[in-house]
Amino acid sequence: MTLELFNQEFEGIVGQLKSYLLRITASIADAEDIVQDTYIKAQEKLSTFREESSLKTWLFTIASNLAKDNLRVQKRWVENVTDITKAAALSNKKFFEEAMHIRTTSPQGQFEIKEHIAFCFTCISKSLPLEQQLCIFLKEVYEFKVSEITTILNTTEAMVKYYLHTGRTKMINVFEGRCALINKEGVCHQCSELNGIFNPKQKAQEEVMKIEMAQEAEKGDKEHLFDLRMAILREIDPFKSKASELQLHHLEHNRQLMDNYLEKTSI
Amino acid sequence: MATTVKTTFSRETSVSADIKADAAIVWALLTKASDYPRWNSTVTSLEGNIALGETIKLKSILDAKRTFKLKVKEFEPEKKLVWGDGQGNRVYTITKNGNGAVKFSMVEKIGGLMFPMYAKMIPPFDQSFDQFASDLKKESETIMNSK
Repeated sequence: MTLELFNQEFEGIVGQLKSYLLRITASIADAEDIVQDTYIKAQEKLSTFREESSLKTWLFTIASNLAKDNLRVQKRWVENVTDITKAAALSNKKFFEEAMHIRTTSPQGQFEIKEHIAFCFTCISKSLPLEQQLCIFLKEVYEFKVSEITTILNTTEAMVKYYLHTGRTKMINVFEGRCALINKEGVCHQCSELNGIFNPKQKAQEEVMKIEMAQEAEKGDKEHLFDLRMAILREIDPFKSKASELQLHHLEHNRQLMDNYLEKTSI
Repeated sequence: MATTVKTTFSRETSVSADIKADAAIVWALLTKASDYPRWNSTVTSLEGNIALGETIKLKSILDAKRTFKLKVKEFEPEKKLVWGDGQGNRVYTITKNGNGAVKFSMVEKIGGLMFPMYAKMIPPFDQSFDQFASDLKKESETIMNSK
């Protein structure tokens, strides 16, 4: 592959690569750094690229290997991350002032429940063991085949299936217990609550019912509801969406809090 | 079906199952402690790191109030896992049969000179062994057949 063709194809893949890295680092700066390092490494090794896999698979392999060395990728959060960060945000006037400023001034400062669903998944998925988190994103969001994930993560098909199954099952159970969009008894209403703050003229329940996952909730098919949640993530580019600036601000807030929380609770 | 062989000073229960799944999947399920209660209906909690020399804490449906502290004595990836205490050992073995399936077996022998004194206080293992093997087979094959 020539450098010119590589650069051209890289442009088409870089958006997905960057969003993948953001979702596993929860850090804008780290995601951007790893994208740059991936480009440099890929360019250096271009002569070794035999096109046995697609360029997208090859780039995700390089990026995943670089990401595994990143401390923020290695750090595992806790399942109730959104409870911890909500409590902190409520006592942080500056956070809401900044968020409201973004909401009123930025073209990418809209609040949409769907975008918050994607953001929420990013945060909670960091409580999974790393391999499970990576497999879920690669398969369900970036639509790699199991055989391609074996290349990206340098593991066997059996283990990819194991990570996918255990990760999916864990996340299904977490959301079933927490998410009020799919379970009336769910303890977390943050997306509707934030919609009330950022879009006070909207009726939150009406907004919720525009989302297919919420419409399908009563049928109780947990696997299907998880697939619908993944479909929401696939639709959203966290760097380019209408709510990206607001959600990135929120993500930075959560990451900093979790960095401190994990430091305090580590033995 | 599980079988038990009793002698004056020991009791040995064993069960085996043919599992149509990769040995790596069976091994991963057997060695991820915190995941046990999700797929294994005989284990209510399992804490610790299943690795050679580590101590784990097991709670089982056989005696919900008791926590068994067990040491991991052998750890041969995708082949053999042994944990136990002073009263006995549980041995798990996985044998690849060449066509992508494995034979899983689980044996627990308890005993010693004092065994006759407490033998009657230990409930039979047969049913929970059958359940364990059946749960492992079901979960392994579900994972193997996933797309």
